[in-house]
Amino acid sequence: MFRNRREGLALALPAAIFSTLLFLVPVAILLSEAFRSDTGFSLQGYVDFFASPLNRSVFLRTLKLGVLVAGSAAIIGYAAAFCIVNLPGKARGTVFGMVVLPLMISPVARTYAWIVILGRTGIVNDAIVGLGLSASPIRLLFTETAVFLGLLQLFLPLMIISLVSAMENIPRDVIPAARVLGASWLNVFFKVILPLTKEGLVIGGTLVFTGALTAYITPAILGGSKVLMLETLLYQKVNVSNDFVSASVIAMILIAMSFAANLVLKRIATARS
Amino acid sequence: MSDTFVQLTDLTLTYGKNIAVPALNLSIREGELIALLGPSGCGKTTTMRAIAGLLAPASGSIHIDGRDVTRLAANKRGIGLVFQSYALFPHLNAFENVAFGLRLQKLPEAEIKSRTEQGMATVGLSGFEGRKPAEMSGGQQQRLALARSLVMRPKVLLLDEPLSNLDARLRLEMRTELQRVQKETGVTMVFVTHDQAEALALADRIVLMQQGKIEQLGTPAQLYAQPETAFAAEFMGFENIFKVAGDSVQNDHGSLPLGYRPDSAILAWRPDGVRVGQGPHQGRVTACSFAGGHREYVIDSALGPVKANADIALPEAQIGDSLSFDLPQATARPLRA
Amino acid sequence: MRHFANWGILGLTLIFLIGPFVIIILAGASAGPNLAFPPEGLSLKWYAKVFTIESFRASFVLSMALAVFGTITALVLGIPAAYALNRYDLPGAETIRTIVAAPIIVPGIIVGLALLRYVVVPMNVTVTVALFMAHTALVLPYAVRVVSSSMHNLRADMEEAAVLLGCSRMQAFTKVVLPNIRGGVLAAFILGFVTSFNQVPVSLFLSGPGVRTLPIDMLAYMEITFDPSIAALSALLAFMSLAIVFVAERLLGFSRYV
Repeated sequence: MFRNRREGLALALPAAIFSTLLFLVPVAILLSEAFRSDTGFSLQGYVDFFASPLNRSVFLRTLKLGVLVAGSAAIIGYAAAFCIVNLPGKARGTVFGMVVLPLMISPVARTYAWIVILGRTGIVNDAIVGLGLSASPIRLLFTETAVFLGLLQLFLPLMIISLVSAMENIPRDVIPAARVLGASWLNVFFKVILPLTKEGLVIGGTLVFTGALTAYITPAILGGSKVLMLETLLYQKVNVSNDFVSASVIAMILIAMSFAANLVLKRIATARS
Repeated sequence: MSDTFVQLTDLTLTYGKNIAVPALNLSIREGELIALLGPSGCGKTTTMRAIAGLLAPASGSIHIDGRDVTRLAANKRGIGLVFQSYALFPHLNAFENVAFGLRLQKLPEAEIKSRTEQGMATVGLSGFEGRKPAEMSGGQQQRLALARSLVMRPKVLLLDEPLSNLDARLRLEMRTELQRVQKETGVTMVFVTHDQAEALALADRIVLMQQGKIEQLGTPAQLYAQPETAFAAEFMGFENIFKVAGDSVQNDHGSLPLGYRPDSAILAWRPDGVRVGQGPHQGRVTACSFAGGHREYVIDSALGPVKANADIALPEAQIGDSLSFDLPQATARPLRA
Repeated sequence: MRHFANWGILGLTLIFLIGPFVIIILAGASAGPNLAFPPEGLSLKWYAKVFTIESFRASFVLSMALAVFGTITALVLGIPAAYALNRYDLPGAETIRTIVAAPIIVPGIIVGLALLRYVVVPMNVTVTVALFMAHTALVLPYAVRVVSSSMHNLRADMEEAAVLLGCSRMQAFTKVVLPNIRGGVLAAFILGFVTSFNQVPVSLFLSGPGVRTLPIDMLAYMEITFDPSIAALSALLAFMSLAIVFVAERLLGFSRYV
């Protein structure tokens, strides 16, 4: 049919222009803010940001929690995905649905549940005091553990979904074939399952790591100002100290880390094969 | 030609900077069944899309029924096209697929109903009205696509590789079906194919194309018996094609004396036309297979492999045997260079 | 034995993923004044109270409106874009794809801050309009992606067939393309709606006094009050999402689009 390019562009451009004006340009200006000074280009914003011990520790904590959450999600994800794939058809759909469902529910609701669980009068503390492990409730909220649990609960489904769809593409008889050839289960995992699902691991890993990095609600509710992460720090910088240069630096770090995570994971995946 | 119905004049078709078809001229008569035959990439489908109006020509003109339609939009040309993939509408049932074009014409409901039912009867799909395309077999989908185009009473019906998606048995069935429908409706049909047997069996005339140009145009009998070029000959099953030099034939492997002096640049023989078991030439059998009424040999000779069919009555030669053969003048087809 | 281990692993995973919702539903049903689990007696009074809090009602309406109109706008922009990216050999198609997908890659808080500082403030845009623009930009990538993938499976020659049967280009789109991507469009709408409704980081900086989305309002309420009403509201929102997803799954097998 006479599909000329002008017509195609006319259809695609409104969305592209909308995205450019309301998203790309403002974000680009924000990112450039840290590179600007009265004298022109400058990296002073970055130097100042990393000179602060608080900023450094928040940066490292964010990185650490991101890696921990992604790593734990991968381990649990493989176990869960393997079990799901081996379920009979109907049960498989139901369980998979139950894994996907939490994604549709407000993160505020999902995170708030942890307050009930980990709070001073929550079930965990009730149990601890009840069992006599401690005389008074211990602080579980506003700890890295709380943030870690919240983030893991929030993003684990993404890992499971990625791994399930990767495992569904493993040819049917490959695993029995490997077993017949004498491979132990450990061998089967590292020599067969892992190489065949690394695409899914890369996607899931990037989603979970990036998600953990850029989550706001969870560190805000479960970490508060005691356990700051980059997102909550950014909010503070803007709302408390009006420090837009630091905000710009954090924005750049978050974006760079997301891209880096994807690149590193891809590199690892290709190096293995 | 006074009875020209479709006329392509200097039709040039391009994809971006690539010229797919340079200056094509072709006349099609009313009620004719024309095959555009050629290997993939020869421009046959491109030409068909241009006739349908799905591709704007870079230059040249298309006339249908005396009217210049070169710049006419595809939906105003009154041309039917049966797509290779059938392109049925998956969300509509068979009846609504066939009625689709009639509804657009805002015909009275009664007429839509009767014409749709008649169209479905023509292709033998009565009773399948409520089925969705996905619930029909490949052959039924093909018929449905045919009915959908036919009910529009198109001036020209184009078919893109109409039999290529069917299995061997259905293919034969659809061949006769297409011929019957064409006789019944009298519609001018142009179909595109890469299968010479299909073209020979179906078409009134065959347009053999190569690299966007018409290599040869003629009736199936003409193309089969009198190919004019090496390309046409090869397409029509002349498997032994050699250049002529004086009174011998030659190729990269070597040459053989013929014992007569041909007056054409190239000679070609079908395997049937090569005489086996007697003759001046010797070769070694490198392959032999039984094919019912005859045996098919590949003979390694001074010209390299020569393909020859031998009558089943002749004694069988084994692989490795020496076999004599002849390239007779009587069965040689002279070709232009 | 293997069977047993399978279900053990799955059971623990599901408890970890779903358990918190059970807890929150029960915590919201407490009869006592404080957030606690197990609840101090059962009652529905906190569930009832949620509906009487004026600011929740206002922010719920705002969130609903943003989710519905933002998603519709994203679809109006996104469907033609998805169509063009699928059907036309566009110069710079990859660039356009990247630009449109970009809001998904960049953290929401940054999008919100950038919009606030360089669009909303300089152009003096009202808070509601700013939120609307942000939510549309946020949903656009989902709209394009989901509609694209359902259009991808639709052969282009179907439209050509429609045109040869007499359709105009526009009719070919509405009569042939649209009915066949209906499932994808609905899925995109639901995904967009849920994403927008639950969105916090983008709205964080854009919410103004008196104009807050529901999740932001909940965060603010949480800081002041420590009663079970947030638990009750969270449970209600979870039920709402579940209902939407359940209906969608029944209607069109939603999960294959996610």
